[in-house]
Amino acid sequence: MSTPYPVRLAGEDMWLLPEKALYWPAQQALLIADVHFGKAAAYRSLGQPVPHGTTASNIAVLDGLLAALPCRQLIFLGDFLHGPGSHAAATLGALAEWRARHADLPMTLIRGNHDKRAGDPPASLNIRVVPEPLLLGPFALQHEPDPHPDRHVLAGHVHPVYRLRGRGRQSLRLACFRLGEGVSLLPAFGAFTGGYQVERDDSCRIFVIGDNEIWPVS
Amino acid sequence: MGTSPDYAKLWFTARGWKPFAFQKQVWTAVKRGESGLLHASTGAGKTYAVWFAALNRFASSVTAVETSRKRKPVAQPLTVLWITPMRALAADTARALETPLLDLQIPWSVGLRTGDTSSSERARQSRRLPTTLITTPESLTLMLARADAQTALATLRMVVVDEWHELLGNKRGVQLQLALARLRRWNPALIVWGVSATLGNQAHAEEVLIPQGGGISVQGQTSKALLVDTLLPPAIERFPWAGHIGLKMLPQVVAELESSPGSLVFTNTRAQSEIWYQALLEARPDWAGLIALHHSSLSRDTRDWVERALKEGQLKAVVCTSSLDLGVDFLPVERVLQIGSAKGVARLMQRAGRSGHAPGRTSRVTLVPTHSLELIEAAAAQDAVAQRRIEPRESPNKPLDVLVQHLVSMALGGGFVPDELYEEVRGAWAYRNLTLADWSWALAFVRHGGLSLTAYPDYRRVEPDEHGVWHVPDARLARRHRMSIGTIVSDASIQLKFWSKGGGGKQLGSVEEGFIARLKPGDGFLFAGRLLELVRVENMTAYVKRSTAKKAAVPRWNGGRMPLSNELAQAVVERFSAAAQGEFVGPEMRALRPLVAVQQRWSGLPTSTTLLAEALKSREGWHLFLYPFAGRQVHLGLASVLAWRVSQQQSVTFSIAVNDYGLELLSATPVDWPQVLSPGLLSPEHLLEDVLASLNAGELALRRFREIARIAGLVFAGYPGAPKSTRQVQASSGLFFEVFKQYDAGNLLLAQAGEEVLREELDIQRLERTLERINRLQLDLHQLKRPTPLGFPLLVERMRESMSSEKLADRIRRMVTDLEKTAETGKS
Repeated sequence: MSTPYPVRLAGEDMWLLPEKALYWPAQQALLIADVHFGKAAAYRSLGQPVPHGTTASNIAVLDGLLAALPCRQLIFLGDFLHGPGSHAAATLGALAEWRARHADLPMTLIRGNHDKRAGDPPASLNIRVVPEPLLLGPFALQHEPDPHPDRHVLAGHVHPVYRLRGRGRQSLRLACFRLGEGVSLLPAFGAFTGGYQVERDDSCRIFVIGDNEIWPVS
Repeated sequence: MGTSPDYAKLWFTARGWKPFAFQKQVWTAVKRGESGLLHASTGAGKTYAVWFAALNRFASSVTAVETSRKRKPVAQPLTVLWITPMRALAADTARALETPLLDLQIPWSVGLRTGDTSSSERARQSRRLPTTLITTPESLTLMLARADAQTALATLRMVVVDEWHELLGNKRGVQLQLALARLRRWNPALIVWGVSATLGNQAHAEEVLIPQGGGISVQGQTSKALLVDTLLPPAIERFPWAGHIGLKMLPQVVAELESSPGSLVFTNTRAQSEIWYQALLEARPDWAGLIALHHSSLSRDTRDWVERALKEGQLKAVVCTSSLDLGVDFLPVERVLQIGSAKGVARLMQRAGRSGHAPGRTSRVTLVPTHSLELIEAAAAQDAVAQRRIEPRESPNKPLDVLVQHLVSMALGGGFVPDELYEEVRGAWAYRNLTLADWSWALAFVRHGGLSLTAYPDYRRVEPDEHGVWHVPDARLARRHRMSIGTIVSDASIQLKFWSKGGGGKQLGSVEEGFIARLKPGDGFLFAGRLLELVRVENMTAYVKRSTAKKAAVPRWNGGRMPLSNELAQAVVERFSAAAQGEFVGPEMRALRPLVAVQQRWSGLPTSTTLLAEALKSREGWHLFLYPFAGRQVHLGLASVLAWRVSQQQSVTFSIAVNDYGLELLSATPVDWPQVLSPGLLSPEHLLEDVLASLNAGELALRRFREIARIAGLVFAGYPGAPKSTRQVQASSGLFFEVFKQYDAGNLLLAQAGEEVLREELDIQRLERTLERINRLQLDLHQLKRPTPLGFPLLVERMRESMSSEKLADRIRRMVTDLEKTAETGKS
């Protein structure tokens, strides 16, 4: 695992992870947004050839994090499965095997828009599925970044990326965390996901991810 | 067929016309059953050369079918396919073909089948095809993708490919090559004729169309007198050094239009045409209704109206794009104005040919420069046109994406047996050297998604049945494929309609989705010559109303940027060389003289024996400007190789800009150019290795992959007006590219993306010749204090590539630190 980047958020110490995940040391909770498991399989079932390997790569990164961090619960902030075509034998088989390796770890999925179309993951995966918001400490854990009346929202859905610009007309487009006053966005975790460019303003902090490091953009 | 009368003679005699020699040549050849290619410029009877050849050979006389009791004689079955590159031309072609049929009472029917054809007309055609069907390459492939294609086309005798030069050099032409290979296998005696504008390589044009040999070449009327002149800016000192819109010349253009009854004003982009139309109306409000706008994103109705009004002589001027390049002869056009560079000799001649159609009239095109350096290009264009240095066009070689698409189409068209189809495909020129290995890969790709059986679980598009005939088993996939046939790749477009309660407002045309996405309701923009305000967007339709706002955005359509042709670029260097000798011939060069003096004083001039280079340190960083005059494609390749070679010596990130004259490398960290720019850096040795390496370090291959992914069916453009849920299966080709690179690096479509970058984006052969040429030149490097007239357009160019040998972390660190510095200075 690469070096975490500690930040204060809603009065809590939180770690931004270069693996595109968020860790909450006080609760020993690992938060993951937008994995989109089975996205490649969904494409293949519609006749669009996509090589396999993305599921295995997602699982390998998850395993690395779970091995390195003390973890009492794993929470998916929506879009766990990509679509109806994601219930492919190979994908679900790989997930079942992964789940068996972490049989004792409680896992929760906050249903996102893709989960609604894809259907809940099979019961055999033993993942508790709840609608948003899931209230935990000062946070409202959600898929969609809608503001909450009295909690700080942690959400996915947007797949935020930030365009960093520099001298010599250079620019880089990088996945990022966007921490706002009432709503904070996690980057998409999945290996086969695109991004949506977000802008910076005075009310938010942007942290881009590159070369296995977290970089604050002041 | 000997019974049919000589229709050509009958019709020409009745009108008191005398056939041209080339028309008689075509008639004789077709009578003998020969195929061939007719080279003829616009107009001048080329249509009738081919059409009467078909009628004379295949039309039976009326008496043969008069026995029919119906009042209207039954038309002969499908005999001729007439392929046109633009569906806009189809209706005009139909009118031209029908005229002699009526006069001579020939029982032939003429029908259209294009993307615009109504479903009721299609249904009628599926019962019985007309004797002559006018269609596009895409619609022909769609017909071949029907299960009963062979029966429906059984009576076909002749194919005419109109405007072949427009198809020869691109993938649409390859798609047509494949279709022709299939038609020839069904009927080996099929007669194929192409009609092409004059090209620099006519033998190649003929070989690609008629690869089995035996074709004959017929030369049409040699083009008439052509006059190229230039509108000069009043004062060169106040004329901009860069830019492409050219509104500084508005007063002169208005004056020219004023003095002439009917003019075409060609622009290079749709956005530019919108801006010019608006500017002309603002300058002359009394011309409302007398001038019009024509480009390919306007609705069909609007374009039809403009074309009709132009033909009837009701319009003073039409501002247009290449949408009016082809076909239809507009008699009332007196003048043609070209705003900005025409980029090529052939294109300039074609546009000039739009004017002065009446016999004995001279065709004239007037160039309107948009910035200073286009004056020298105008002078050079006159030289190149006078010497008829016309560009060649070459067929693509073995594009696998088109082949993959064709395999699925043929699986739909009654299924295929691989061995038979392999022979047939190799009958198309582009695939004459297709190896068994390529073929096996393509088969495996449509069956499993790749060569390895386990690589793509759950995937199947085409599968053999128990008799070894390959079909598409899934009806849903079949429907999707039919919607995706074609090789023209464009961004997702969104329809524009006027907002009215209850819907159903008038359709205006289409713009790219990305443009609308940047607008908020209430924002104004310019379209179809109107100021519009966005009301709302739903179901891939943007609803708009008229706006009274002062400020408005102009949509950008991502059309390809055409490079300056080699022919024209060399003519430019010759003019600079002459200027270096103190020769300023012609009004353009005399007007440009003060600017040339500035370039010479601050730096130097490019000549036929020297390679001009300039180094500059600015606030942005360290710049190198280099001027090989080889066209933007070659410059891009050259810049990539240079950037790669330098980045091997030091850790550096370059931002690259190119134009038709030269290239710029810009870095945020120091590069000592006088030291670094050695002859070895420009050596043609290890060129291919270095280009390939630079490709992997840059983003060019990704951009090429976008087109390939669409054609090969990797990315599905979606059903028009489909609800959002189906768009969950759309992904950007950039994402696909990354996934393929990481998980299936051996995929041949990736290899093709690389090859196409080499051939089309970078033009590797021309790049090699360029490096050999500039190696013989003497390097003339100047250290600048300020950007020169030649360097300035590159300095302000916003379309940029990048190339880096720095660690990502170092690049991020520098940018983040820079941001912090600006934030601190901002506070103080």
